Amino acid sequence: MIDEHMPVFIGSGLRLAVPIIFAATGEMLSERAGVLNLSLDGMMLMSAFTAALASWATGSPLIGVAAGVLVATAVAGAQAVLSVTLRANQLVVGIGFNILALGSTTFLYREIFGPLSRDPIPGFAQLNLPWLVHIPVIGPALANQTGLAYVSILMVVVTWLILKYTSFGLAVRAVGEDPRAADKAGISVARTRYLGVLYAGILAGLGGAFMSVADSNTFTENMTKGAGYLAITAVIFGGWNPWYTLAACLLFGFATALQFLVPALQLDVPVALLLLLPYLLALVAIAGFVGKSRQPSALTIPFERGG
Amino acid sequence: MVMKNPKLAQGTRRKLVPLQVLVPVVSTVIALGIGLLIIAATGASVVEAIEAFWDGMAGSDFNIGASINRAISLALVGLGFIFASRANLTNVGGEGQIAMGGMFATAAALHGAGGLPLGLAFIVPLAVGTVAGAVWGGLAGFLKAARGTNEVISTLLLSFIALPLVYWSVESFHLLRKPISDVSSLPESAEIPDSTKLPLLFPDNGSPLHIGLLIAAIAVVVVWLVLKHSTLGLRLRAVGLNATASRRAGMRTSFYVILAMTVSGGLGGLGGAIMILGQQFYLTSDFSSGYGFDGLVVGLLSRGSAVGVVIGALLFGFLRSGSINMEISAHVPSAVVLICQGLIVIVIAASALLTNRTVTR
Repeated sequence: MIDEHMPVFIGSGLRLAVPIIFAATGEMLSERAGVLNLSLDGMMLMSAFTAALASWATGSPLIGVAAGVLVATAVAGAQAVLSVTLRANQLVVGIGFNILALGSTTFLYREIFGPLSRDPIPGFAQLNLPWLVHIPVIGPALANQTGLAYVSILMVVVTWLILKYTSFGLAVRAVGEDPRAADKAGISVARTRYLGVLYAGILAGLGGAFMSVADSNTFTENMTKGAGYLAITAVIFGGWNPWYTLAACLLFGFATALQFLVPALQLDVPVALLLLLPYLLALVAIAGFVGKSRQPSALTIPFERGG
Repeated sequence: MVMKNPKLAQGTRRKLVPLQVLVPVVSTVIALGIGLLIIAATGASVVEAIEAFWDGMAGSDFNIGASINRAISLALVGLGFIFASRANLTNVGGEGQIAMGGMFATAAALHGAGGLPLGLAFIVPLAVGTVAGAVWGGLAGFLKAARGTNEVISTLLLSFIALPLVYWSVESFHLLRKPISDVSSLPESAEIPDSTKLPLLFPDNGSPLHIGLLIAAIAVVVVWLVLKHSTLGLRLRAVGLNATASRRAGMRTSFYVILAMTVSGGLGGLGGAIMILGQQFYLTSDFSSGYGFDGLVVGLLSRGSAVGVVIGALLFGFLRSGSINMEISAHVPSAVVLICQGLIVIVIAASALLTNRTVTR
């Protein structure tokens, strides 16, 4: 019984985790620099829509992804201007962008595709990597993924390397912990934070595009369904560490996939409990009851030179 | 020239203070203008859209009543927001507090409150809903006071926990889902008893306007009095401005943090209870959808003023009603209004630097 459902469960768990992995990894770097992007969900939604639109118009999912990333990066740029240069409340700006993203994608979707369109759009094919299929239990699920899914893991490695081994990574950490000291040491706080937010935008864009052109091959209204918030939650739960964040994303992906597995196994567990599980875990984590995770000291605090 | 020019000083002050009012008004007008441009760009008739919009907002006694009813819950969430922000706390969990308030009010109305005399039939569910919201908000306050947890993140997470709980309650026959023997088997609760529905203010002219309006009006006055003219308001402000100094001055800062979040959540819970008892009459899994963020925006727009909350809530209540009708009769997607709302929030947040500076100096 479990054997036949397991590959499907693992496969869907991974697919559900990929967008969160992208978004959370970028967000982690931005938060390490001191900027929290509550607009992550909006960036993903805008990217998912743009990717679907561009892929539908050009027939190339690759162009779709590029367009999605471009739009998400533009939103991130606007977020950076507001929260770094204008020192606006990062959380309020983020909520504003999320409302704007929901409104504009819903509006454009209805205007361009019509309210009930479910036409599939050109998307990526699964790779079916032959050398992975033979791993027992998890092999088929690992092998039957689109290329973007592997890119998400690659981005975790890249982000970890950036943070740990590059001067930019050092600057990010310094700016997030003590911007005044970083400023005195000659690091540009604004430039570092801008780059951090843009990095989050690029990755959120990849995550959003994955949803429409790699996972479902369609766009639906509000299709992120709060994935951006889940990504932020994963960063908190992962204690601002790339690997723990990855683990948190996988946990959330599988927790979400449980809602398909549990009914299939005819277990009497309310789906609602599975839906709220990630958030409950995150709340427990952020309240400091599990392990010791400490947020970057300057998180959400704007920096004003000499002020 | 050490002497200041009194005329100049007075002039600048007179110019600066209304910026508080000017920024929300100007950004709302600009956002609505952009909304009209978008409608025009779709090729739809702007006149027709505006007519449908106006009709939906205020075309009949029924529509006016429905718009104001919508505004009542938004105003309560907005009041909760400014109450917490007085202590420098940002409650973004209005949605969850509404959800908990509505869910527990439904439970109270369906199980026991219906037979109570003297108006208690609806007062008890209102109180139960308020307490539920207060607990949900107070939890965030407790985490802030006891563990230093950022209340923005905790209230957001608590919302994402509350919404599945409502979903669960209407999915499960053991909880609030109506028995399957009914004609429809949708996942929703049974309708609440008539005695628990809020009495209408004008039962004769078909307006759905209910006594929630009076409750909201009382809440506005009370919050205004507490924030502007009471020791409690002053203490909340002191704790928000400088917790360490307040503690040295002998205030129990933890108490005020928890209190501010409890009251804030309670107002949201009351708003949710009023939505169920006043207009919707049965619980669905997404009954609170959008109200939390709308209420949050109302709170933001008001810049801490209870009067501002009333204006903002009415604006958004009427906007929402108008946009729904615009979609139905003029075929313009109501999402245009979401675009406008998003723009309003962003512009106001962006101008905070401008306005805050002029206020503090």
